[in-house]
Amino acid sequence: MLTSPTVRAVVLAIVLLAAPVLWSHTLVLADALPDGRSVAENVNARDDGRYVSRQMVMQLIDSGGSTRERTTRSFRTYDGTDKKIAIYFEQPRNVRDTAFLTFDYAEAGEQDDQWLYLPALRKVRRISGSDRGDYFMGTDFTYDDMKLDGKIALGDYEFQSIGRDAADGMPCLLLEATPQTDSIAQELGYSRTVSCIDEDIWIARRTEFWDTQGNRLKTLHVRDIAQVSGIWTPQLLVMENHKTGHKTVFRISDVVYKDEMDRDVFSQAAIRRGL
Amino acid sequence: MTLFSRERQCREFESGRSAGGRALYLALSLLLIPGLLVVPPFAVQAQTASDDSEAEEDDVEIVYILRASTEGALEIDNLDGQKLETELLPGVEIAFDEGIRFTAKGRIRYDAFDQLEPGSPSQDTTSPESRRLRFNSNSEAELREFFFEVPTDFAYFIVGKQQTVWGQSDGLKVLDIVNPQDFREFILEDFEESRIPLWTLKAEIPLGDVLAELVWIPDTTYNNIPEPGAAFAFRSPSLVPVAPPGTSFVLDDPDRPDRFIEDSDIGFRLSAFVDGWDLSFNYIYQYDDSEIPFQDRTSFPTVVIEPEFRRTHVVGGTFSNAFGDFVVRGEAAFSTSRYFVTDDPNNANGIEESPDFNYVLGLDWYGLRDTLISGQLFQDIILDDTEGVTRDRTETTVTLLARRSLLNDRLALELQWLQGLNVGDGLVRPKVQYDFTDSVTVWGGADVFYGSSRGLFGQFDGRSRLVLGVALNL
Repeated sequence: MLTSPTVRAVVLAIVLLAAPVLWSHTLVLADALPDGRSVAENVNARDDGRYVSRQMVMQLIDSGGSTRERTTRSFRTYDGTDKKIAIYFEQPRNVRDTAFLTFDYAEAGEQDDQWLYLPALRKVRRISGSDRGDYFMGTDFTYDDMKLDGKIALGDYEFQSIGRDAADGMPCLLLEATPQTDSIAQELGYSRTVSCIDEDIWIARRTEFWDTQGNRLKTLHVRDIAQVSGIWTPQLLVMENHKTGHKTVFRISDVVYKDEMDRDVFSQAAIRRGL
Repeated sequence: MTLFSRERQCREFESGRSAGGRALYLALSLLLIPGLLVVPPFAVQAQTASDDSEAEEDDVEIVYILRASTEGALEIDNLDGQKLETELLPGVEIAFDEGIRFTAKGRIRYDAFDQLEPGSPSQDTTSPESRRLRFNSNSEAELREFFFEVPTDFAYFIVGKQQTVWGQSDGLKVLDIVNPQDFREFILEDFEESRIPLWTLKAEIPLGDVLAELVWIPDTTYNNIPEPGAAFAFRSPSLVPVAPPGTSFVLDDPDRPDRFIEDSDIGFRLSAFVDGWDLSFNYIYQYDDSEIPFQDRTSFPTVVIEPEFRRTHVVGGTFSNAFGDFVVRGEAAFSTSRYFVTDDPNNANGIEESPDFNYVLGLDWYGLRDTLISGQLFQDIILDDTEGVTRDRTETTVTLLARRSLLNDRLALELQWLQGLNVGDGLVRPKVQYDFTDSVTVWGGADVFYGSSRGLFGQFDGRSRLVLGVALNL
C-alpha cells in the first residue's frame, strides 16, 4: 500500500507538516522541566532572612488520635554560608528548658556540630552530627529535616525534574532527589524524595519521602505560606508518617526577621540558661 | 572518696543558736512558693503572629511549676519495702524586664517506710541556712532553689541557692564537685535530686571566645551520708573505719567549718569551643565534701572519732568532640590533698593524706537510630605512697549505658551497668519509662547490686530493689 506514490506523498506531507508541531511541543516540554539541580539551587537561593526568630507549636498526634503538644521558640541565623539553629522548648513541663543547638557547615564533608541541653542532667551534651536520620524530640521530622528548614542539601542528592503536578491547588514542579550514595541514604533514612516545588516562590509545597527499603515513608505538606517582611514564610507544616500512622503538625507564629541578633541565643551558655 | 557513717542521737528539731531563725526562714521560703502560686499572673507577654518587629518585652511573665510523683522500691532479697515516697515539687519562675529572672523551687517529701533516713537525721554536715525542715521521721520540706539571674553588659550573674554543674561524665562524678551530694539512696537517685543546692554567687563573664564562670560559695554544706541503720549506710571498710579487736569507737560531732568568708569555697571555669572541641579548664579551692574520720587514740583502747573537713585545691578540665557516629569526651581532676582511711596501727590518727588524680574517658555511639550506647572508664589514683590505706591505690570502674527511644519518644528503654574492676562488684539498672501524656509518666526498673561487700557497689548487695513510679507534671 505504501508503495503507491500517492500514498507516499500523503504520508510525507503529513510528516513534514507534523514535524514542526512535534518539535515545538518537545521544546515546550524541555522548558517545563528545567534541570533538577538548578531547581534545587533556586530553592536554596530563596531569601529566608539573615536572622529569624519564631514560635513553633509542635503537635505530635499518634495513630489513635492522642495528641501531645510542645511549644518552642526557635532561632536561625547565617554566619557567612554556615547556618546556626537553636530551638528552645518552653512547654510542657516534662520537656521545658530542653534546648537544641546546631552549627550546620556549608563546606562539603564537614560534619555539623550539635549540642543538646537536658535539664534533668543540667548539662549541655555534645551529640553526634552524623545522627541526621534520627527523629527530633519525638516528632516525625529528622534532625536533618529540622536543620534544612525548607532548604535542600545539594551535596547529598542527585536531582531530576520529573513532571508537573499541583499541591493545595497550586501548580508545582516535581523534583526527584536520590541520595548520591548508599551510605548517605542510610544516614538520612531516605532512598528518594519527590518535592512539589512552587516555582513562583521556590518553596516545596509538598514532599514525599521513601525509606531505604523503597517503601513510602512520609509526606510533608507546607501550608499557610504568607509574606512576612517581604519574605515568603510557611506557617503550617504537616508531616504524616505512613509507616506508623503518626503525624506531626508545626504551627509557626510570631515570626520576626532581622539583620542582626539582639542577644546571644546560639551558644552553649545560652541554651544552658534558657530564654 | 573518703566517707564515713556515724551514729548520733537523732533530734526531731535542731536546738541551738539559729534553729528558730532557720525554721522561720525555711517556712517563709516555702510559704513564698504557694503564696505566689495563688497570685494570678498579672501580665503575659503578648505575641503577634507575622509581626515585623519583635514585641517589646515590657511585661512580667510568670510560670508556675508543680511536679508530683510517687516512687516505691521493694527489696529483691526479702521483699521488704525500702521506700514508698511521695514528692511534691512546687516552683515558680518569673521573668522581669531587662532579662532579670527569679526562680524558686521547693521539695516536700513523705516516705511511708522511713528506711532511707530512719528517725530524724542530725544534718550536722549541712549549714543552718540549707537544712531541711523535718516535720517528723517520715516527712520533710526543703528549699531547693531560690535565685536571681541578672544579665549586665559585662557579666551574667546568678545569685542565690542553686546547683552548679561541671563535668561530662554519667553515673559517677569527677568534676561535678561544686555541690555536695545526698547519699540517702547512694547514687541511685537522679543527680538533679541528690545534688545539694548551695547559696552561691556566680558570674559568667564572656572574654572573647572564652566564657569565664566564677563561683563563690559561702554555704558550708557537705555530703549527706546516711547514718548507721539506714538502708544505704556505708559499710565498705574502704569507706568507713573498722574498730580493731579490743577497741571501741566513740563518735564526736563533725567539726563543720562555719566561718562565712574564711570557710567559703571559690573557683572558676574557663570554657571554649575551639576547632570542633568543647574544652574547659576548672579550678576550685574548696573543702572536700567528704568528712574525714580522724581518730584520737590518746584514750586507747577507746578511740574517739573526730570527723573534720579539710581544704583542697582541685585543678581539672574537660573535653568533647564528635567524629562520625562517635562522641569522645573526658574529664580529669587533680586534688592536692585527699584523705584516706588506713588500718596501719602506727598511724597516729587513722588517716593518710595524699594528692589524688581521677579521670573519666567516655565514648558515645549514635550509630543505631534513636539509640545511644555509651561506655566510660573511670580511674581514681592515690599519687603518694601511703601505708595501710584500706582501698586500692588505683580504683577502676567501667560503665555502659544503652538507651533507646520508641513510639515517638513515648517509650524509653535504658540499661545502665557499672562494674568495679578492683573487687569485681557492680550495679545493673534496667529501666522502662512511658509517657501516657505530656503530664503523666510511669516507670519501672531494678537496681541490682552484686559482688564483694568490700566494694563500692557490693556493700549494698542486700539492697537490690525493684522500682515502680508515677509522676504528674503540671
